[in-house]
Amino acid sequence: MEVLRFAIKKLIGGIPLLLGVTFISFLLMVYYGPDKTYELLGKNPTTEQIAEIRHELGYDKPFLVRYGDYLKEIVTLDFGYSDSTGERVNRILKRTIPISMAMVTPGFVLGNLIGVILALTAAHFRGRWMDKLIMGGSVVGMSISLLIVVIAFQIIFSSSYGLDLFPVRGWEVYNVTSYIQYVTVPTLVFIFVSLGYNTRFYRAVIVEEMERDHVRTARAFGTPPAKLLYKNILKNSMIPIITRIMFSIPLVIISGSLVIETYFGIPGVGKVTYDAITTGDQPILKAVVGLTAILFVLTLMATDIMYKMVDPRVSLK
Amino acid sequence: MADTTPLLEVRNLTVEFRTEHGIARAVDNISFDVGFGEALGVVGESGCGKSVTALAILGLIPSPPGRIAAGSIKLNGRELVGLPESKLRKIRGSEISMIFQEPMTALNPVFTVGNQMSDVLRRHKGLSRKQAREDAAELLRLVGIPDPKQRLREYPHELSGGMRQRVMIAMAVSCSPKLLIADEPTTALDVTTQAQVLEEINLLREKLGTAVLFITHDLGVIAELCDRAIVMYCGMIVEEAPIEPLYDRPRHPYTEGLLASIPRIRDRKLKRLPTIAGMVPDLLQLPDGCRFADRCEKATGRCQLEIPTLEGARKRKVACFHPVNG
Amino acid sequence: MSVAGETLAGAGDLTLRKTRESLWSKARYKFRHDVWGMVALGIVLVYFVIALGVWLGIWGQGWSAVGGEKWGSMSAEYWFGTNIIGQDVYDRAIYSIKTAFEIGLVVAVLSTVMGAVLGAIAGFFQGSWTDEVILWLMGVLDSIPFYLFVAAVAFALGGYAYSMHLAMIAVFWTITARLVRGEVIKLKNFEFVEAAHAIGVPHFLIIFRHIMPNTLHILLVQSTIVFVAAIKTEVILSFLGLGVKDGVSWGLMIAESTQEVLAGHFNNFVAASVLMFGLVMAFNMFADSLQDALDPKKVS
Repeated sequence: MEVLRFAIKKLIGGIPLLLGVTFISFLLMVYYGPDKTYELLGKNPTTEQIAEIRHELGYDKPFLVRYGDYLKEIVTLDFGYSDSTGERVNRILKRTIPISMAMVTPGFVLGNLIGVILALTAAHFRGRWMDKLIMGGSVVGMSISLLIVVIAFQIIFSSSYGLDLFPVRGWEVYNVTSYIQYVTVPTLVFIFVSLGYNTRFYRAVIVEEMERDHVRTARAFGTPPAKLLYKNILKNSMIPIITRIMFSIPLVIISGSLVIETYFGIPGVGKVTYDAITTGDQPILKAVVGLTAILFVLTLMATDIMYKMVDPRVSLK
Repeated sequence: MADTTPLLEVRNLTVEFRTEHGIARAVDNISFDVGFGEALGVVGESGCGKSVTALAILGLIPSPPGRIAAGSIKLNGRELVGLPESKLRKIRGSEISMIFQEPMTALNPVFTVGNQMSDVLRRHKGLSRKQAREDAAELLRLVGIPDPKQRLREYPHELSGGMRQRVMIAMAVSCSPKLLIADEPTTALDVTTQAQVLEEINLLREKLGTAVLFITHDLGVIAELCDRAIVMYCGMIVEEAPIEPLYDRPRHPYTEGLLASIPRIRDRKLKRLPTIAGMVPDLLQLPDGCRFADRCEKATGRCQLEIPTLEGARKRKVACFHPVNG
Repeated sequence: MSVAGETLAGAGDLTLRKTRESLWSKARYKFRHDVWGMVALGIVLVYFVIALGVWLGIWGQGWSAVGGEKWGSMSAEYWFGTNIIGQDVYDRAIYSIKTAFEIGLVVAVLSTVMGAVLGAIAGFFQGSWTDEVILWLMGVLDSIPFYLFVAAVAFALGGYAYSMHLAMIAVFWTITARLVRGEVIKLKNFEFVEAAHAIGVPHFLIIFRHIMPNTLHILLVQSTIVFVAAIKTEVILSFLGLGVKDGVSWGLMIAESTQEVLAGHFNNFVAASVLMFGLVMAFNMFADSLQDALDPKKVS
């Protein structure tokens, strides 16, 4: 009951954020965005034809009415039809979101999991060569561009110049084997790119926690170092860890997979978004922005509830 | 206590910390004993090395930057310096345990009191989960916490400061340690709670026969609890004496100054409290001679050049060339 | 009154300046003794000199000239070979250093200034509607998918050459602003600020004369981090066709190379990636050492 009331309060509190995101995106992308009138007209259009198309596209309506229409689309979760293919936007999303999820989940999970493990290891050996090795490795990882990693991994794993083990691009997944075939290289890229940042962040959090009084108490009562790390310190570090993971979810799904999907030719939301950017397909862009904003509000809410679960001092007020 | 071997035997202990500007000797060549069941007070200003001494006994000096540079610490005749970490862990919390200053932060905020207490019991006594919880409840009752079963399910932030410190004490005595180190256990508490917590430690000491090493900057607290006290200044022991003579006839000028600066309610007239002039020297730039010389009225040329050693009869020692109340 | 005000505020400033100076002199001492940090700074300076040379027209000028054969290999004339239309890869890679510095500096300086000002205002008026509005704006900007935002800015500005820079500045300032806001909230309860209030120093003077100078160490560290982020982001945006419009950049070179590598031509790819890695790595290490020296909260 408490949780429910809290959730509703948070959702209402998210409305200004939602309005802000949609308003700024609408202003930039649609109102000042590309004018599609002439693309849709034949040669030498008459004034009436132009007016008709502009009416169809809604260009003749006042700004606030058009923005209101967009908000209505978000509330009803109905984003109309794609400009370029004429397919229902909802259908496109329903088809592509699962693909993106399947593509990004293994890399996202492993990237964070390995990051936490490396961070715990580095913190355990703080100041010694193991720590320096791991942290040096993270700086190297952080210094290599995503694009370079994508190309290099493609050469290493998928070309005749390297191991040639996996398909270069595409997504023809119908069973587990083919899934592994297509997901492996993108996953490796994802892990490689996120690992450096994750490890550094998690190590900083863990080391800070290690210096707290209660850790000294636990040591004074004979707690073995391994248990100290995975029980006492890890649970206490959960709040920043959860925050990082949760807040990267909305952006990782859209932005993070955009480059990878485009490069590997994987037909997920990222690829669809990229295509929409290049063709100026506004209904799709509006849907992606709107849904990301909603996802953000939900994430904010879920994160606060998760805080309560890991830290008894947090109250849902 | 008489002439048998003591419970704790500290000899020539030296602890150093590496800092950016050189090596700081936080504890410099100190020696003392704690007998079985004895309560020894360690008095001194903050930074005089008393807490570092406590951590050194438990082998908890953060390293790097700190290390035990020299000396020996024997518990029941067994050398602790250089003992492998795994063996030290078996001693911590069972044979020697420690109560810390800040009850607000010394307990882990995200685990229940019961979880933290039974953790210690299960580790050192090998109890089952259920047995450990029952023992924990019994211990809480022992330190005077009402409704212990309920308290076990609570988190530290749900308890008051005094309550938390009692939990800390219960945890510390849970494995019947031979030595209990209390590092300013009452400093962070209000006066009434202070008295109660001190009383609790005193009762437990009598009941369990545990020796106590009581670290504080408050001479008043020592008087209530301890048989004997050592006074530390700037990493060194300047005086060692049984409580009564220490109060009645302090021999080191520093001890005398400390005693003079305790406010006394009996004094009718409101006087300005005497203070000790000057400041504690920087651990990185220690004087050649007596470390108290710059603040001492009695200091002579010899005090500036030579470090006085701790000398005297077995129980009454002072490190001073010009002791007072001679 | 105003004279007294000046001296009093000055006195508050003086006590703080003392601690501030010790922070900076300590930091300088620490940084000088940080071997890796000094090496990294040296590498960054070498890159900077190259960029300056390009800017002054000393080298790297032949980046757009079409002279050699298609995909020519390394030679005395073309050190790193040539690209698909016979342009000199070496000159293009060198010229891209200038592009990278341009992007990094513009974005780092402007986003830091913006973050510092807005963060300080939000922190100083913590809890007021001004603070709420700035916090809301930061939340909004953080919630728009970044690549979409860049595209939207590019749309709205009709393909303006610096729309990428503007988009990055518009997004990157929020991190700095959050840090500065937190620090200002801490600082504004210090006595020297209360003293300034008490004698009637105007708000904006308190913020910019008395509080902001004490956030300088955060701004310095943060701008190095943003510099690196900007260079890395440019590469991806250029690949997506949203980046550099005039000139050449590592991003454009790598985008160009995507077709070549599968055919076995690695010149473009290797030249751009290695040079970029060197600069980003050196800058990351430099930023790290700077943070070690300046940030008392940094755990190491």
